[in-house]
Amino acid sequence: MIDQELLGDFVVEANEHLANIENQFLAIEEMAPEVDVDLVNQVFRAIHSIKGAAGFMGLVKVNELGHNLENVLNMLRNRELTPDSAIVDVMLRAADRLKSMIGEIESSNDVDVSSHVAELTAIAEGHAGDATEGAPAPIELPEMPATAKAALAPAAELDDAAFCAAPVIEEATSVATAPSLTPAPVAKPEVPITSTAAKTSPAEVAAPAAANTDQSIRVSVGVLDSLMNLAGELVLSRNQLLQAISRDERSGLEAISARVDQVTSELQEAIMQTRMQQIGSVFGRFPRVVRDLSTKLAKNIDLVIEGKEVEVDKTIVEAIGDPLTHLVRNSVDHGVELPAERVAKGKPAKGTITLRAFYQAGKVRIDITDDGGGIDPQRLKDKAVSQGILSPERAAQMSDRDAVRLIFAPGLSTAKEVTDISGRGVGMDVVRTNITKLGGTVDVDSTIGVGTSIIVTLPLTLAIIPSLIVQVGVERFAIPQVSIVELVRIREGERTSRLGRVKDAEVLRLRGQLLPLIRLQESLRCQAADKVEPGATNIIVVDSGQTRFGIVVDALHDSEEIVVKPLGRHFKDCSCLAGATILGDGHIALILDIAGIAVKQELRGDHKEEENEDVNTGGVAEEELQTVLLFENAPHDHFALPMDVIARIERVRTDQLDSVGGREVLQYRNSTLTLLRLNNFITAKPTLELDWVYVVVFNVRGREVGLIAPTLQDIREVAMEVDTATFKQPGVIGSLVIDEHTTRLIDLFELAEVAHPEWYADDQPIAVEEDYLPPLILLAEDSGFFRNQVQKLFEMQGYRVEPCEDGLIAWEKLVSGEYDFDVLVTDIEMPNMNGFELCTRLKANTRWKDLPVIALTSLAAAADMQRGIDAGIDDYQIKMDKDKLLNSLRNFVDHKKKKAPPKRSRALTSGGVQ
Amino acid sequence: MTMVAEPKRTSTEVQQFATFYVGQLLLGVDINIVQEINRQLQVTPVPGAPAHVRGVINLRGEVATVIDLRTVLGMAPAEETRDTRNLIIHSQAETIGLYVDRISDILTISDDDISPAPSNVNGVDGRFILGVHTMDSDIVVLLDVEKVLAQQN
Repeated sequence: MIDQELLGDFVVEANEHLANIENQFLAIEEMAPEVDVDLVNQVFRAIHSIKGAAGFMGLVKVNELGHNLENVLNMLRNRELTPDSAIVDVMLRAADRLKSMIGEIESSNDVDVSSHVAELTAIAEGHAGDATEGAPAPIELPEMPATAKAALAPAAELDDAAFCAAPVIEEATSVATAPSLTPAPVAKPEVPITSTAAKTSPAEVAAPAAANTDQSIRVSVGVLDSLMNLAGELVLSRNQLLQAISRDERSGLEAISARVDQVTSELQEAIMQTRMQQIGSVFGRFPRVVRDLSTKLAKNIDLVIEGKEVEVDKTIVEAIGDPLTHLVRNSVDHGVELPAERVAKGKPAKGTITLRAFYQAGKVRIDITDDGGGIDPQRLKDKAVSQGILSPERAAQMSDRDAVRLIFAPGLSTAKEVTDISGRGVGMDVVRTNITKLGGTVDVDSTIGVGTSIIVTLPLTLAIIPSLIVQVGVERFAIPQVSIVELVRIREGERTSRLGRVKDAEVLRLRGQLLPLIRLQESLRCQAADKVEPGATNIIVVDSGQTRFGIVVDALHDSEEIVVKPLGRHFKDCSCLAGATILGDGHIALILDIAGIAVKQELRGDHKEEENEDVNTGGVAEEELQTVLLFENAPHDHFALPMDVIARIERVRTDQLDSVGGREVLQYRNSTLTLLRLNNFITAKPTLELDWVYVVVFNVRGREVGLIAPTLQDIREVAMEVDTATFKQPGVIGSLVIDEHTTRLIDLFELAEVAHPEWYADDQPIAVEEDYLPPLILLAEDSGFFRNQVQKLFEMQGYRVEPCEDGLIAWEKLVSGEYDFDVLVTDIEMPNMNGFELCTRLKANTRWKDLPVIALTSLAAAADMQRGIDAGIDDYQIKMDKDKLLNSLRNFVDHKKKKAPPKRSRALTSGGVQ
Repeated sequence: MTMVAEPKRTSTEVQQFATFYVGQLLLGVDINIVQEINRQLQVTPVPGAPAHVRGVINLRGEVATVIDLRTVLGMAPAEETRDTRNLIIHSQAETIGLYVDRISDILTISDDDISPAPSNVNGVDGRFILGVHTMDSDIVVLLDVEKVLAQQN
């Protein structure tokens, strides 16, 4: 018996050698008939080392296969052999087999490799013959099933030669004959598509091997050094702690605990770093998947991979492979059309699938984009209606974007016909479920004739997740923060007005929406707590990615970063749970799987929308809505703040508020938060003395500032019918009437400027060189209120603004040629031409395609961002966030200056901006 | 490095079994798979788990499943007493607790003294039984732990 440790090392090393071999082979194929000797050498050395080590360890079959592969590579290296698709195909299959043998190394000596060896020797010995055998094959097309014989009699060299030529023939065949060729691949034992379809793809043949042996991980020495340093610091802090405790000193404890806290966080980060892997290791399999599949389908497809270096946690890298494979296969099968079809549509015959990974807002986003035929929303609707998934009325109301999302509905298949590759009706919903399990989301966007994008977002890590700990009965549970939308507390007196029933389901009324409610204690059958205190109802509003609902819990505890521990095999059917964690007191808290709960309770996405419609028909006018936070500074003195600019809201005890140098501050998270009190800066009644107040935190000039909002009332979507005359003063935009109360709308940025003019002291209007006019902004915004606000803001900075109340008017101004605009700032929702359309038109025209476009939006429209990016929008900014909007504007105008210096004929280009 | 529950059957070999009581029944498991015996009985119930699973415990930072042997063997549930213990074993790379009423001795039994399981011993399903060892006063039912853990209900 071979030493187990040695064998383990061999497996790890061999897998490293083989990890990239597929793509190296494909690169060789691409370059054929040229030979990149360096590349071939690299592969040769990899195979050579495997062969050598295998021989030493008595792995005769691995050795034999390696040896034969090496022979062929050697001939390629010495230019005795010219690579072509047939040869690469044989080598690829041999490498696949080698991988699977190494995956199950113990039984590798029982594997029959004779067919591979025969193929390889055929190439090595009879490469001259190979060419002649292969050449007549295309003429004998109808006889292709004969290759089935080849598989049955693998030793027959002659048949094998024809066999390897098969893929070449497929590539060469016209579209019309392609379907008749399918028997050929079926006959090949290890090439993908057998009757069990997707299950036996080469990617998945390779996958188990990786999963079985990938038990060790490579860590850069730098990370290891920093870990060592941190461990040292931790030991030091521990010693300090022990000393302080033994001496019973309380004074130094706080400093030590802060130190331990910091070191622990850093340590955690460094350890997470060791688990990060490049997503390229998953992407690596796709060139082969696309090659094999497009060959089989007689399609011509280029795969473009971007963002290989994006790093995510190892667990995610491992789990994302299968869903991504499914999505890529789908794009090849359903997305990209056949070459003839493409040419007929005026597209290049070769289709492109782009796989792009990048970081976005603390998550990883992966886009799978094809330039194929796109998804027909009408066909999907019809299909969904005919399958009873959707009612005809709902279908009629559904937007195209939502209709395309029907591909994720369970049981719906988009393919016209069921093919081997995909379209068996178990597809996208499973992909969606799997991605949701990882804490990610998946979305789709498609334009008929242009292509389809699948957008996957994933968390960076799974092992440690910020969670809210809640109490249900006697037990505590953890809910991942990522699924939490907001917390709602219903006081006893409000219960009848806020909680209701629709049919037999309990619902929560929240800002004009009805959300389904789940009482965890009932649905999980938890033991009730001994004493149930009547009082407020705590509701956690969560979003499963498909649906939003409320969870009723008994009490809320802390928000903690929890370490996820897996549950044992006995709990595999507990779909409501995502794992367990150990709390600070040693008790176990189970982690709730929000998506699982939604599925178990049969909450569906459309449920929510139905109710939305009810509410909409209930009289909410089609006007520009803005979400605002309503509060009273003093009794009967009502104020509103735009939600979009609020970073977060804290509740603090008034005795925590300090007064330093006549200014109110809050010591908070190891830093000092400057506080503003409304009545100090604008005419307002003074605030009452309360024990607790709310502090609304926002960012201005790169610092956090808090506004004291003593009593919060509600968060509402209100129409921006603002009276900007009556109550206008610095810090107040104007007034609105909400619930029959005159409510003043606060401009936080102006307020900050009134309170701390020194922050703005360095501000200067944009500097304009003499002889140049300041930059000209084309502003398209249908709401008069916002148009005036934004125009004023820009003009105060020295820009020139050309306001328009619709996209169409903006377009006309642009086309008229009267103006030479430097940047377009546009709203999205406008009556005659919306921002997307305006931008698409703009970018399609060579005259303006370099004109930067900044879109104005409110948070509610964040979901449309992708659409905007596709339309060519350069940046999204929130309407009410003045600082960021101005920064963005500066960036683009500045940027432009670099690209087109003002010396050129364009007299209106911006001058210097510092 | 998973432990194999099935003892090797060569003629003269002896094996050790950790024995314990569930109800009136004396049961034994191969001592090689036993990690420890503790009094950690604070079990967190898991909603939606099979009936024979009591829940999970915190075993020095690991989350271990706890199986209620009474339910598996078809006995009525019992109150926790001073003698109740958690017998921690290894199975398929997992740590699992068996909730037992009382711990008894460790027995060294020669293979010759193990008789094959009849279809049913004192109400215990023959599927779960590896063999039976008869002592002067009592009989010990040797459990096939993997079968017990694979129980579905």
